[in-house]
Amino acid sequence: MTRSFTLRTALLASVLSVFLLHTAHAASQSGNGHAVSFSAEQVAHGAQIYAGACAMCHGADLEGGHDVPDLSTYFTARWANTPIDQLAGYISRAMPLMAPGTLPPQDTAALVAFLLHQNGVVSATDAPLPMEEARLAKLRFPAPSASSAAATKP
Amino acid sequence: MKRRDLFAASLAAGIMGSTRRGWAATPDAAAALGRTALHGTIPRIVPIRAHADQIMDIKVCLRPFRPAGPRMDVEHVAGKTVVHNYGHGGSGWSLSWGAAYMAVGHAAATLERKVAVIGCGIIGLTSALTAQRAGLDVTIYTRDLLPHTRSVRANGSWTPDSRIALTQQAGPEFARTWEKMARYSWQTYRDYLGMPGNPIDFRDNYTLSDTAPDAADHVPAPADAAKGSFATTGMPQNSAEFAEYASLISDIIPAPELLAGADNPFPVAYARRTPLMIYNFGSYGHLLLEEFHQAGGRIVIREFHSPSDLADLPERVVINCPGYAARDWWNDKSLIPVRGQTSWLPPQPDASYALEYKGAAMISKSDGVMIQGYDMSGLGEMDGVGNSFEHPDRAEAEKAIAIIGDLFTRFQPRAG
Repeated sequence: MTRSFTLRTALLASVLSVFLLHTAHAASQSGNGHAVSFSAEQVAHGAQIYAGACAMCHGADLEGGHDVPDLSTYFTARWANTPIDQLAGYISRAMPLMAPGTLPPQDTAALVAFLLHQNGVVSATDAPLPMEEARLAKLRFPAPSASSAAATKP
Repeated sequence: MKRRDLFAASLAAGIMGSTRRGWAATPDAAAALGRTALHGTIPRIVPIRAHADQIMDIKVCLRPFRPAGPRMDVEHVAGKTVVHNYGHGGSGWSLSWGAAYMAVGHAAATLERKVAVIGCGIIGLTSALTAQRAGLDVTIYTRDLLPHTRSVRANGSWTPDSRIALTQQAGPEFARTWEKMARYSWQTYRDYLGMPGNPIDFRDNYTLSDTAPDAADHVPAPADAAKGSFATTGMPQNSAEFAEYASLISDIIPAPELLAGADNPFPVAYARRTPLMIYNFGSYGHLLLEEFHQAGGRIVIREFHSPSDLADLPERVVINCPGYAARDWWNDKSLIPVRGQTSWLPPQPDASYALEYKGAAMISKSDGVMIQGYDMSGLGEMDGVGNSFEHPDRAEAEKAIAIIGDLFTRFQPRAG
């Protein structure tokens, strides 16, 4: 009885979470969906892509500038709790600005992994971040916790 | 009227404009003019200190160009009535009030009292103010405010038909729409002239040349048939494809005057002077924001990631003013970037004029001396087309500054 109740609740919760994932900007309390995982290889590959295609405008330290969005504190605030497929989709469609649409899916996923890592997100497992839109749609960009937001890089 | 017609092609194109600063008709025009300023009445020209080591800032803009002209239709998306107002090419500032007037008309026709405006560049701001003046409650949703929006990376002068459309793709109907927008905007701008801080102002703009007006180098390069056209390649291929509408409003735009002999204060053989309306970004931008807030407007800083995000806005009517960002945010692949770069040197309030020489333009504004290489490679309207490299190019900036700097090394200030 208890067991089937739990199962039912879990099922309902997962159905609900799928529903919520399709409602952009649901409140952060609605949960972060599945835990986000990415591999160390992706982070390393993402760092290479970033240095070659992104750093020229967004800065070596993701700091951005007056006319260029940062990819650090303001960035995490803008994307917090947003399904990650939207971020990956944005990068693949719009970036890099001088040659949009030129990054293959594995490079886009690696860049997302790199951005998550640089912004203090700890990967849940060693599993790589998926490239498929449908799977990314189940993941949300983690909201910075109050403690990590307060901590600043040296 | 005749006099204006002779100059129509080169007149209102302004600086972001183009190849149509043709001199071809000027000898006749000079005769037709029959007047220049009286000797001794030419304002004394203070030299511009155009040196690369004076650069304060380099701005890069991506003009949101659509071959068919700006997108101004109404669409129903995510349960909202969406009125589009984007894609004004190099004419966004100049046409802003007229475009806003049309967009707000569509919004008002829904009889809703509350409207959302997406974006706070010059199109978003003027749309929001126009909506308030029509009695609507307005909330602006935007990622950035001036001076971070792409709008402030323009040169800020009256260029109402600069990269606004391709003649063939826009069709004859758009010429009429353009004329309405241009006239409405021009009249609205007059309301901001002479105010404290000079948000909107005029400069004498000197168009200079070493060669005769009818010399070969002033004739636009013939279209290269081998390159095709937008119709055959999906991208504009030559200057002649770009629409010119300036002659439609030549009855209200001050005409150029040729400066002959002693009336020409510059070390070049040929000079023409045209009053040019300019926008001083700082004072004008702050003034518009103040007016918006004073009228009870609200600004929400927010980034939208997909059109479905509109669903959770409380307003049922949305005026969509994202500028170049529409390419991604509204997936409008018809938007073609046209790169332009301006560099800014310290203000010279003692030298309040503008000039164009060898493909470089200078406008002395309240927030700095603007220098732009608008056509240093002889590409005309094609300069920057398809280029979305939104990163400052210092070498390009220095080349443009050198053109103006060289002019003034040869300049002999008048006595008295």
